Amino acid sequence: MKSSELFDEMRQAIIDGNGARAGKLAGEAVREGLDLLEVIEKGYVPGIEKVGDLWEEGEYFLPELISSAEAMKAAMAVLEPELQRGHLQAATGGRVVIGTVEGDIHDIGKSLVASMLQAGGFEVFDLGADVRLERFIEKAEAVGAQFICLSALLTTTMVNQKRLIALLRERNLRDKYKVLVGGAPASQKWAEEAGADGYAENAVAAVKLAKSLATRRP
Amino acid sequence: MSLSFLDLAKRRIVLLDGAMGTELMARGLPQGACPEVWNAEKPGLVQEVYRAYFAAGADAVSTNSFGGSRIKLAGHGLDTRAFELNRSAARLAREIAPPGRAVAGSMGPTGKFLKPQGEFTEEEFESAFAEQARGLAEGGADVLLIETQYDLREALCAVRGARRGSVLPVMATMTFNAVPRGYFTLMGDTVSRCLSELETAGACAVGANCTLNSEQMAGLVRAMRPETGLPLIAQANAGKPALDADGRVVYSQSLEDYVRFVPEIVRGGANIVGGCCGTTPAFIRAMAEILARSER
Repeated sequence: MKSSELFDEMRQAIIDGNGARAGKLAGEAVREGLDLLEVIEKGYVPGIEKVGDLWEEGEYFLPELISSAEAMKAAMAVLEPELQRGHLQAATGGRVVIGTVEGDIHDIGKSLVASMLQAGGFEVFDLGADVRLERFIEKAEAVGAQFICLSALLTTTMVNQKRLIALLRERNLRDKYKVLVGGAPASQKWAEEAGADGYAENAVAAVKLAKSLATRRP
Repeated sequence: MSLSFLDLAKRRIVLLDGAMGTELMARGLPQGACPEVWNAEKPGLVQEVYRAYFAAGADAVSTNSFGGSRIKLAGHGLDTRAFELNRSAARLAREIAPPGRAVAGSMGPTGKFLKPQGEFTEEEFESAFAEQARGLAEGGADVLLIETQYDLREALCAVRGARRGSVLPVMATMTFNAVPRGYFTLMGDTVSRCLSELETAGACAVGANCTLNSEQMAGLVRAMRPETGLPLIAQANAGKPALDADGRVVYSQSLEDYVRFVPEIVRGGANIVGGCCGTTPAFIRAMAEILARSER
């Protein structure tokens, strides 16, 4: 198969959310000795980007996003060990620490954002729900994150997004991280008020936002 | 009750209540606490909210059990108390319901996904909802109200569970987003498919709540009406929440703006109306006045 045809098939496997196929095609690329960074950039990434477009157009919904993110994961699981063997690294947007803030057990939106960020090339550390504010900072410091992403579904817990930013300031760590906020009650206005670096309305918008803010890892 | 709640909905517009959680928070429910625990710990305050909605003119109040399924309560480590907390949610409302007014047992989503997106099986969801329904029925609910469902498969588990756990009539509302191609649930279920499958599963009244404001809800009601012959339910949010300068929660639709669309919701074919997030007894009182002027 010509590599351009293979790329098309990879793209389609992601759009279809077909993890088995995405992984199998990745295996073929490895066996044929293709440039795996090119495979990711020209095969898989256009697929996940198309999925984002389909979501925004109202053609795709949560189940399709999850399936496509899983398919992306399946492909990367095959490609990453090979890249490491060649001392190569896929282009990454950076490391992200994400979670739902303390007092809030809602995690559907947060988990979807985490999956889409990972599919979008970020290294994601998902701390789950009801996460102590302290824990976000500990983890971000420990892994050398560039982003801290905070979710809240409740108006009463949303204030913890602002508290985390205050906590970062107190410790002189504010400029070290891009802090992004999301969740039903959050808004651009809220992000500004809380002193966050950005707000995204949904998982697809979150990936775009993070990419626009990303700087290459030193 | 002389006439059942659903029979009443065939004769005139029936009024439900508004938000519960924010009313409890206004009475001191701490941030992140489990609202259902108050059915055991602060029964007087839960009844105060029920009373306020009845006094405002609601034909039925929905019980403080929205997050009362065992699966949802597990997030607070309270799963073993599901039956008891649901029973007391209904009992507290039953105790103070004036004659002729109804108690609707609220059943919200589990907050988890079914396989393949999540870890749960349909049977696990169904049996959790059946347990909740048993508690609500034993506490004296007149009808069950499955609400804010974003996954039709879960909503169908809830309807089946409700019918397995009780003999009460079952009402069900989904929550829809307005996307460029129309109205869809988070999972991509259409209005038409939701309403028809809920009816087939045995729901006696169907409709929508949450997510949309009252103006958007009026549009959704027009889209829903041709899709079902059952009584139609509509409970809109008061827009979107935000925090004001003092850190208080305010919703983007004022009371006046919200109720302005009530006549349109009714004209569009809704038979059972009420409020959702951001609405208060004052909203329900204003709705009762509008309905009294136009219908009764």
